[in-house]
Amino acid sequence: METLLVHLALLAYAAGAAAFLTWLVRPDPRWAGAGRGLLFAGLVLHVASFASNIGVAGLGLGADSWKGGQLFSLLAALIVAGYLFLDRRGLAPIAGVVVAPLTLAVMVPAHLVATSEHAVVQPLWTSGALFVHVAAATLGTAVLALAFGLSALYLASERQAKSRRPGRLFARLTSLESIDRAGYRLAVWGFIFLSVAIGTGSLVSKAATGAVLPIAPKEGFALLAWALLAAMIQARLVAGWRGRRIAILVVVGFVLVAFVYVGLLSASPSLRGALALAIGVWP
Amino acid sequence: MTTICVGVSHRQAPTALRERLAVPAALLPDRLRQLRELPGVREAMILSTCNRLEIFASADSREIAGDIQRTLDPAAAPLAACRFDEDALRHLFRITASLESMVLGEAQILGQVKEAAAQARQAGTLGPELQRLVERASTAAKRVRTETEIARGAVSLSSVAADLARKLLGDLADRAVLLIGAGEMAQLAARELRAQGVKELLVANRGLARAEELAREVDGLAVSLADLPALLVRADVVICSTGAEEYLVTRELVDQAVKARRYRPLFLVDLSLPRNVEPSANELENVYLYDLDDLERVAAQNRGQRQSQVGRAEEIVEEELRALLAQAHERHAVPVLARLRAHAEAVACAEAEKTIAALRGLDERQQRSVRAMANAIVNKLLHAPTARLRAEAGSGPLADAATALFGFDEAQGAIGGRHDRETLASHG
Repeated sequence: METLLVHLALLAYAAGAAAFLTWLVRPDPRWAGAGRGLLFAGLVLHVASFASNIGVAGLGLGADSWKGGQLFSLLAALIVAGYLFLDRRGLAPIAGVVVAPLTLAVMVPAHLVATSEHAVVQPLWTSGALFVHVAAATLGTAVLALAFGLSALYLASERQAKSRRPGRLFARLTSLESIDRAGYRLAVWGFIFLSVAIGTGSLVSKAATGAVLPIAPKEGFALLAWALLAAMIQARLVAGWRGRRIAILVVVGFVLVAFVYVGLLSASPSLRGALALAIGVWP
Repeated sequence: MTTICVGVSHRQAPTALRERLAVPAALLPDRLRQLRELPGVREAMILSTCNRLEIFASADSREIAGDIQRTLDPAAAPLAACRFDEDALRHLFRITASLESMVLGEAQILGQVKEAAAQARQAGTLGPELQRLVERASTAAKRVRTETEIARGAVSLSSVAADLARKLLGDLADRAVLLIGAGEMAQLAARELRAQGVKELLVANRGLARAEELAREVDGLAVSLADLPALLVRADVVICSTGAEEYLVTRELVDQAVKARRYRPLFLVDLSLPRNVEPSANELENVYLYDLDDLERVAAQNRGQRQSQVGRAEEIVEEELRALLAQAHERHAVPVLARLRAHAEAVACAEAEKTIAALRGLDERQQRSVRAMANAIVNKLLHAPTARLRAEAGSGPLADAATALFGFDEAQGAIGGRHDRETLASHG
């Protein structure tokens, strides 16, 4: 049942992405409406698949193994939920053109690429810090993914405006300024979640391995991303940076966070426990 | 009944002639009534804009088009095009969808058609036929605007500049615009931006007196050109249109301004020839510089985009036209169906009563059963003919065959409603 629901959710996301891309070519508002509707339907199915599995595996605390794909699935759902939330607050449908395919890019590997099962160390099975760590890390990544999408959109549109040959992307935009503002705000939220994730992560690490800050690529990328985002916020607030420079920093920041996940999937079993929460909600 | 359109537009008549043809709003009711008083005219509507005069009428025959044509200015009458029925409907649909406009996709024409209908209604010359046409034409026009890109993208240079400002800067309510020079196009662009709600419109000129005069014209504030460095920090949109031979706004000046602005975006519009803004300023971060060629290129791109949508727009117009014609045919079919059913029900009812009388002693329930059986036979027998007549929508041979077979045309002349049914019932 859970697998069927996830299959249907994936199909709805794919159809939503297709609708948004069609809207880019043929700007009938009904296409954008269909895109939103399909993403919402996909999210409902996705959440239903999580809910049906929670009944079996609880909230994840106490789980003794996990799969990498589960995390990506949860991320995809959070990205869509975040987009739909922002959409209701006036984000233009053009963001859907970037976010819907991005969701697919996150969801497809989760769903179609087989990932191996990893064990969770026993001391972490009931850790509260682990719960906060996983929640903050997942939310932070989802928010940064949205910021990444908007920043990429900004860079592409700004390029068109600078070239003085505005194309379809620029034509569908509400304004460059609104995309810049929304991308920056999301990046700030991503930074806040990332800070919490790093703080609680060190507690989890101490419980699992005895080291507060283990020297490993994963932690290195997380700290680098954190420092970059901190510098970006500083530059915006103090020096007034905006537009292209901020968008590039957000894109690089998200790429560094993505490397954290690559590191995570190949990390030692002890720290994989940090993702135990995600396990419980995957079929 | 026939629909007639007699019209002269920018395609046939020069501006001077169209000026003479235009009907001022105050005279419109009288002109409408004059048309309505022509023999055979049942309904009339006049669409008078700066680009066309079109008279739509619902009349008894096509010959009346000549009478309508003669009401036009003698110089224009020979140029007027007369269209009938489907052609006339299509013409109204195309006009309303702005497919016949001088600027393809312009927004005003839909409102003008609705206004023409409202005035005809007020003058008492708009009846159900023309009302239905206008409603359906409006539906088609709205579909064309939402389902195609025919109305997207500005096509005049001043509106392209205003459009770009909105795309780059977002809401213009808190923005300031600096107008340098007195060029006509710059003033147009400034007015357009003002209409979009810019907070502050600053006007700079070499002579302060001229700047003040200009500021009054565009509802702005006169400032000194000597303060240009500070003005570039204050304004978010700069429209330059002077006769200066050198760059007034240099890259260096803009570079300093951008830093002082803390990288807030700056949109520079250079409408001067020779140019007044150093072209390399566009390379600076968060600075967007468009000159006349750039604006013209965007306008041409938008015009091309609109033109490419004509095919799809015409498809929509045809779809809506077909739907309107089908509805009209169906409305035509209803009287035949009504007469057929009334005839059959009257026969069934008479036969059922005759049977009840012959059988004598039937209780109420049994009588009801006999009547129900007669009704059921009528319904079953008429089911297929009704469906076919509806499908044919009254325009084909079946409706005529039914009329001839059952003698409806002899029973009454005009297409009827209640009176026809009563007549038929009495025959039954």
